[in-house]
Amino acid sequence: MNGSSLQLRVVAAAAISPSLRHLQLASADGASLPPTGAGAHVLFNLPGAGRAHRNAYSLVNAPGSRSRYDIIVRRVAASRGGSAAVHERLQVGDALEAQWPANLFAPIRGARRHLMIAGGIGITPFLSYLQDASVRQTGCELHVCCRETEQGVFAPWLPADAPVSFHWDNEGHRLDIAALLGHQPAGTHLYVCGPSELNASVLNAAAAAGWPDDQVHTEHFGSGSGGEAFEAVLQKSGLSVQVAADESLLEAIERIGVATPCLCRGGACGVCVTTLLEGEAEHRDHFLSQTDQAAGRLIMPCVSRSRGPRLVLDL
Amino acid sequence: MKLKPSEVTSRPVYEPLRADPNAARHWLVLEAGSMDADLLAALGTAFAPVVQRLQVYWIGPEAPTTALGSLAVLPGVAALSQVLEQARPLAINDRLCAQGTESFVWSVAAQAAQAGLTQSQVQLAHAGSQRRRVWCTHCHGFTEGVTTNVVDCAGCGRYLLVRDHFSRRHGAFMGVMVDAEQPGVRPAMQEVFP
Amino acid sequence: MSIVFKPDETFRGDYSYRNSEAAILRFPFPFPEDRYMYSVNMEPHDGKGPSEAYCHGFDMDEHYIAECRDRAITLERDPGRCQVLPHMMSAQWDTLELLMDRLSIDYPEHFSLNKSGPDFGATWTWINRPLGLEQSFVFGDVATLPCEPFEYITRQAQGDFAICDQREGTLFLDAGMVTSQADWSLDFNVGMNFMEWHGPVPLAHQAGVFERALKYLMMIRLGQPVRRLNWTMTVNPRLDTAPETLPEWGPDRASLMPENIGRKLHLRVELQTLWRLPRSNALLFPLRCYLASLDELVRVPKWGKRLSRVLGTLPPQLVEYKGLTRFLPTALDYLAPFDDGETLSAGTAAGTERLAEPA
Repeated sequence: MNGSSLQLRVVAAAAISPSLRHLQLASADGASLPPTGAGAHVLFNLPGAGRAHRNAYSLVNAPGSRSRYDIIVRRVAASRGGSAAVHERLQVGDALEAQWPANLFAPIRGARRHLMIAGGIGITPFLSYLQDASVRQTGCELHVCCRETEQGVFAPWLPADAPVSFHWDNEGHRLDIAALLGHQPAGTHLYVCGPSELNASVLNAAAAAGWPDDQVHTEHFGSGSGGEAFEAVLQKSGLSVQVAADESLLEAIERIGVATPCLCRGGACGVCVTTLLEGEAEHRDHFLSQTDQAAGRLIMPCVSRSRGPRLVLDL
Repeated sequence: MKLKPSEVTSRPVYEPLRADPNAARHWLVLEAGSMDADLLAALGTAFAPVVQRLQVYWIGPEAPTTALGSLAVLPGVAALSQVLEQARPLAINDRLCAQGTESFVWSVAAQAAQAGLTQSQVQLAHAGSQRRRVWCTHCHGFTEGVTTNVVDCAGCGRYLLVRDHFSRRHGAFMGVMVDAEQPGVRPAMQEVFP
Repeated sequence: MSIVFKPDETFRGDYSYRNSEAAILRFPFPFPEDRYMYSVNMEPHDGKGPSEAYCHGFDMDEHYIAECRDRAITLERDPGRCQVLPHMMSAQWDTLELLMDRLSIDYPEHFSLNKSGPDFGATWTWINRPLGLEQSFVFGDVATLPCEPFEYITRQAQGDFAICDQREGTLFLDAGMVTSQADWSLDFNVGMNFMEWHGPVPLAHQAGVFERALKYLMMIRLGQPVRRLNWTMTVNPRLDTAPETLPEWGPDRASLMPENIGRKLHLRVELQTLWRLPRSNALLFPLRCYLASLDELVRVPKWGKRLSRVLGTLPPQLVEYKGLTRFLPTALDYLAPFDDGETLSAGTAAGTERLAEPA
C-alpha cells in the first residue's frame, strides 16, 4: 500500500471536442488505485517521438475513486510532445506509467463558501471539486470562461444540479470579474485556474476589491516556458547540455540522462530546487522567497531559465 | 506600556493598526482605559483615508473627542455581537480593528470570529496595561488581570507559573502548576506585566 | 509470531505494566551512537527497520488491550483529550480508512474488514477480536458509527494521533487524540499552526530549523510515509503524562532513589510517523509511545552501556529541556556498573536474541 509509481492502462479514450481528449485509466493489474482528493493531479510519463515527456494533469473523476482515473487533455498547438502523445499516440489498451497522485490545489476545508473561476482547460481541477460532497455542502459556485461551443463538453463530469455559469467573449456573455468579486460573503475562498492572463486579472481584481491574500488561490497551468537557449553545466556529473529555446532546463537535464527529483513541474512545489553555483537565474517559479531569488544561489529548473549564456548547477 | 519581547513563537507580536484602502467598511473598537491622546491622534492619521466608511466603538465610559469621526459608546465587548449582527451580511471586504489590553483585543477577536469574519479581516494592537488572561492547564479555567509571574488559579487554587505560550483560540496565556514536583516549593511572586 | 496480550496490566495506580522478554528485544531503542545529537532524522517508513516495531504501518504489541483500556480511562476523566475541529470530517474518514485497511492486512488474526464497496456510501464491517468489537457502518455516514470516525478508530489503536490541515503555506493542528503525550496540552494547542505549537521549544538559536522542517513536511507524498524517533524519560510506566494531570504524576519525579530507580525510571520513546491522507490532503501524525524501564533495558548489554554513555554526555540544555536534572545523577550511578567500556557497534539493533538475567 506504499508506493511511488503506478502502472496504468488506458481503458477509454475519446475526443470530446476538436482540441480536447478524454482518457480513462485503470490499474494495469486490476488492483485498487490510491484514492484521490479534490484538486489532485497525476504526473504521467508520456511516450514521445524521440524522448519521453512527463506532464501533470488534474484528475476529473470523483474524489475517492479506487477503480478509474479520468483526465481531459487539451491539444497544445506548439506542443513539446506531451499533449501530442495523448492526442495522437495513446490508444485503448496502451500501458502508461505515472506517479501516485499529489495535490497542490486542494480546497480550503474551513471556507464558508468556495468561489471558482476557470479559464478553458483550467476547469479540470474544479470538476473534482464539484464532485466533493463537503465542497457542495459548504456552498460553491463555478464560473467558466471558455469558447461558446465548448459549454456542453464538460457536462459528463458536472453533477446535474452543479452551480456552474459559462461565459464567453461576446456581448452580454462576458464575465464581469469586478462585479462577481465585489460583495462576496466574509469567509469565502476564491480559486482561479486558467491561462496566466486570466489568473493575473482575477488576482488584481481580487486585491482591488479588498480580498485578503490568503483567501485567494491559483493553480498555474503551465503555459509558455520557452526562452533563449543557454548552456547548463552540471558540475557534479561533469556534463553539460545546451538547453533549447523550446525546452525547460529540467527537460534538458532529463534528456541527457541525469536524474533529478521533481513533482509538479510548474514551479510551485519546491521539490526540484537546485543549488546554482555560477550564472544568473531568470526566476519564473512561485516557490522561492524573494530573498532566495535575489540571493541567486537557488533555482527551480522546471520553469526557470538563465539570464545569461551559461549556468552552472550543483548536480 | 511596551510588551516584553519573547522567544516563544506563539506569543503575538502586534503592529500599529492600519486602514486598508481597498477594503470597504472599517470598524474600530477601542478600550477606554487603555487609550490616550497620542494613540488616538495616531489612529486619526492612520484611518483618515477611510474616515467616510469608518465606525468607531468606544468600550467604556465617557467618549473622547477625536478626529476619528462617527463614534459610539458600548458598555462592554459583549455588545459587539449585536453590532455585527445588525451589520449583516458581512462581506470579504469588511475590516475590524481593535486596540487595548491583550485580553480586551482577543475578546473582540472572538466576537469577530463568531460573527464570521476571518482572521485576515481582523487586526489587533496592544495599548495600556500588560496584564494577562491566564488559562489553567489543570482545571481549564481562566484567571483575569494577571500582572505577576506566578498566580493562584481563580478556578482551582493551584499556584501557576505564567508562561509566554499563547493560544489565539482561548485568547490567553498558559499557566502551569509550578510546584508539582515539590508541593509548596515556590518561586517568589513578582510583578512582571504591569 | 503471535502476540500474547497482557490485558490487565496498568499504567497508573499500581503500575503493573512490564515488558515481556520479546517486548524488550523489539523495543525501538533510539541511540545509534554513544553521544546523542539532536537531529531531524527522518527516514522512509517502508516496512524495514532495526526491530520488529518498525515493520508494520501501525505497530501492535502485547500491551494493545491494556493501552486501549488506559486511553478509555483518560478520556472518561477528560473528554478534551480528543478534539476535532469541524472542517476535518474528510480527514477523519481518511484516517479511519487508513487504520482499518492497515490493521486488517497486517494483523488478520486480530482484525477483519469487509467492504461492500471501497468508497463513501458502501457498507463496511469491522471486527476487532482483542477488544471484542464488531461494527457495521456506512463509510462516510457519521450517524452509523457510535461516535465520530477519528475517535472511533483511535480508541482502538496504540499511541496518540494528530491530524494537521495543510493550508496558507503551513500546517494546522486541527485534530488530536492525545492520551499518552510527553507533556503538551491538546486543549491549548488545538487549532495552532506549526510555528505556534512549537512556540515553547528552545531552538531560537537554530534559526531556520523549523522553516526547513515545515517545508519537508508539506511535501510528504501519498504512498510514501516517513518516520522519526523522539525520546524522553518518565517515572513509572505512565502513559498519561499530560500537563493536565501534572499534579498527579509531578510528585513521582522527586521519588527516585538508588533502590527503586531501575524499576521506576523508564525510557520513553515516541515512534513518530507521518502519512499524507488522500481525500483531505491532510497529514496524519501518529505518535506511538514505547516504555521500558532501566532494569529491562540493561538486559540488552549493548543498550545498557550505550544508555549510560548517552546520558553521561548529554548537553546541559538538553538535560534541562527533557526534565532529567533532578534524577540524572542517580540514573548514571545505577547504569555505571553495567558499562565495561567495550566498544559498541553503531546503530540501534540489540545485537542479541537472548537477554541477560534480571539484576
